[in-house]
Amino acid sequence: MSGDSLEEALTRRTQNAPPELLSRSFFFVCAALSIATTIGLIVLLTTEAAKFFTFSAPLVGVTGETASVVEFLTGTNWAPTEGSFGVLSLVSATLMIMIGSSLIALPLGVGTAIYLSEYASPRLRGVLKPGLEILAGIPTVVYGFFAIIYITPALQPFVPGLGTFNILSACIVVGIMIIPMVASISEDAMSAVPEALRQAGYGMGATKFEVSTGIVVPASLSGIFSSFILALSRAIGETMAVTIAAGSTAQFLNVINPAAYTERALPMTAAMVKLVGGDVTGGGIAFQSVFAIGITLFVITLVMNVISDVVAQRYREEY
Amino acid sequence: MAADTTTDVTEGFGQVSRSVGRLFRALLLAATLFGIVFVTILLVYVANDAIQPLTADPGWHLTFFLTLVVPTLAAGAYVYRRDEEAFQTGVLAIGLVAVALMFSGGAAMIFVDIVKPLTWLAFLVALAVPSAVTLAVVAYDHRIPFAGQFVATVAAFYLSLFGVPGPLGAAAGLPAVAPGVFGLLAGVPVAPAPWLLVALTVGGPLAVVGGRVVGRDRGRRTQLLAGVGVFAVAAVGGVVGPALGVDPLPATVVTSVGLVPPVIYVANVAVNVPEERVGLLVPATVVGGVLVGAFAVDVLAFAGPQSWVDWAFLTSAHSNNADDAGFYPAIGGSILLMVTVAVFAFPVGVGAAVYLEEYAPDNRFTRAIDVNISNLAGVPSVVYGLLGLGLFVTYLGQSAGTVLLGGVTLGLLILPIVIISAREAIRSVPEEQRAASYGMGATKWQTVKNVVLPRSFSGILTGTILALGRAIGETAPLIMIGAPNVKYSLPTGISEAASAMPLQVYAWSSLYAGPDFYNKVVPAGVVVLVAVLLAMNSIAIVLRNKYQVGD
Repeated sequence: MSGDSLEEALTRRTQNAPPELLSRSFFFVCAALSIATTIGLIVLLTTEAAKFFTFSAPLVGVTGETASVVEFLTGTNWAPTEGSFGVLSLVSATLMIMIGSSLIALPLGVGTAIYLSEYASPRLRGVLKPGLEILAGIPTVVYGFFAIIYITPALQPFVPGLGTFNILSACIVVGIMIIPMVASISEDAMSAVPEALRQAGYGMGATKFEVSTGIVVPASLSGIFSSFILALSRAIGETMAVTIAAGSTAQFLNVINPAAYTERALPMTAAMVKLVGGDVTGGGIAFQSVFAIGITLFVITLVMNVISDVVAQRYREEY
Repeated sequence: MAADTTTDVTEGFGQVSRSVGRLFRALLLAATLFGIVFVTILLVYVANDAIQPLTADPGWHLTFFLTLVVPTLAAGAYVYRRDEEAFQTGVLAIGLVAVALMFSGGAAMIFVDIVKPLTWLAFLVALAVPSAVTLAVVAYDHRIPFAGQFVATVAAFYLSLFGVPGPLGAAAGLPAVAPGVFGLLAGVPVAPAPWLLVALTVGGPLAVVGGRVVGRDRGRRTQLLAGVGVFAVAAVGGVVGPALGVDPLPATVVTSVGLVPPVIYVANVAVNVPEERVGLLVPATVVGGVLVGAFAVDVLAFAGPQSWVDWAFLTSAHSNNADDAGFYPAIGGSILLMVTVAVFAFPVGVGAAVYLEEYAPDNRFTRAIDVNISNLAGVPSVVYGLLGLGLFVTYLGQSAGTVLLGGVTLGLLILPIVIISAREAIRSVPEEQRAASYGMGATKWQTVKNVVLPRSFSGILTGTILALGRAIGETAPLIMIGAPNVKYSLPTGISEAASAMPLQVYAWSSLYAGPDFYNKVVPAGVVVLVAVLLAMNSIAIVLRNKYQVGD
């Protein structure tokens, strides 16, 4: 953004010449396209979801079969072909993926960030950071395949009752997948902590361990927190790995019961893939439900992104 | 007295245990390595399943160990001890050989099955002619008003590509009067052999670039000779190919896309960077080792591994029988998708970044775009798939699963990433350079065109390559827009339905779930997919490192 008055004074006279006008309009249209994408997403999701829900359907002039929004949000049975749309069974599976993967990714990600920002030599960082980037660059469908063909069989001797499709191995791969996200955002926050604070710590006789845990981590807490929220939102939106690894049978599970993680389940994203990818064909209310899940997912991830933004902006320590 | 205080002070400090700190450090290192080691192990497993190195004769392993591994390690160690920079140059050369050969395979696929070389030539000429017209018009800057220049440029491109009256006239019901340059050339009945066309259109420009790069400090004569040499390398495939039993067309593509860039790089190092010349020992031993090893194995009749990633897998279509199933249509689909995504997302993303960094006033609308882009980057990919499905298939009536639809959907998906990385690159252009440009009387557009974009180009390119890698690894949006799980032939245009590599892997591991597919075909597909993505990521990382050093 250029608020430079000198620059403006120098270019004001020419700013309406045809080539300037043409190029500026082109750049503006490009930037405005992102707004158009968002508007398109919101309009599409709301109108299509409204076709699915009873209460707002008459408002947008939709007639025919519809489902109740209350039943959708509070029901626990998901069987679209039988006309039963309880999204809670999908939400429970998504929550389990989120909890399980965060148990892996959050501690490992923060540990990675501390190591990279405080301990690693520049040379080692030069090797480790591209390594982490590659971790994030492997397609999610490959992670899903890893989960089902290597991780689940490897876990089966140790975990009783672990089926071919289970939430546990999906959690492991999603957790691995989001480590780089937690690590890179947290590390940025830690690198932004001024060197003077560390020096003050050392001057007081603190060890490196005490400086890292007592000064650097608290000072960058808002950045770490926002990285957590972004990573969780990524875990919720993760599609292919959970579709392949967690299975395709919807059931309402107890989120805090560890034994439930050995079960198969259908997270929200997997349900969308299953609906479009062949479960129901040729429109109808079952097909329309994919937009209802879509808007639920969109709203959840949007809210989490906004929270992460607010945390990063508002609670940042200014030095 | 002084001595007394000293002892008091030291006693006051006491001892600090270092074990906690050491343990903490070890734990952190373990946390850092956990993900990398975990995924490396999985990748080794999948590569083992796909390539099956243990099925080869022990003699095969021994031969390659002696001809390839031992000399490479020796040469590497020698070069590394002598000069680390030279070692890096050598490793880069080997990486370039691998990456260029991989991409030449993709290019060969395009020229053999998707775009005929004659069409390609016609298209190039049809773009070159109006470009020349544009340059000529712009050169008469002072005599023609901008509106006139603009109209002349647009008209030249339109006429050259579509002819008179073109699709606009056809829509108005006018009969075709004259074909454009494109139609004229694409319909020529007599043309040189396809491989010659490829050698000219691809090898020609590369020869010019190569001649300039290699002979940059010498006279015109050296440049010309180097250019001719490069062109000879590009064209050698067409001449030697038939003798080896390979079609001249793919052979030419492989030599001009896969062989020429490493040759230029090596020649440049050898001629212009004498202090790093020793580094070329590394690629020489690797390439020599592979050739000698292959020859020795052939003579001694040692059987290689029964890899599932073989020629048949790469060049045949899907089959219900795991032994015959191949990846060809999926690879072609992914290439076409990547081109479509790049054509869409690169200009738009860079344009948006330029607007936000150079033009945008600090008002509410700009801030809205800003927040909006970071939020769009967090929207799950499957929701973008819904956008493609709802907007383009349901409302605009496009047919489901076409390359165009997939490209636009994936393009929208990576647009925020492209914009964010391009903005970072543009922001890193020093303010003084802009000020200098304005101070000399340049307009905003001239500054953007001549200062900002050239200076930030490599950074923008890095970000775009990483984003493209993300796009070709995506599966969920393609499923949502209805791309076919199984496709038996290559798409011949962007309005045809196409499969893609990750989608094919998903189809195999879900629709054809079973030990047959799990142990043979899926690992092979995963290896190909991951190899392509690693190649793209490493290009981006190398580019970025070079660019950061150069700054």
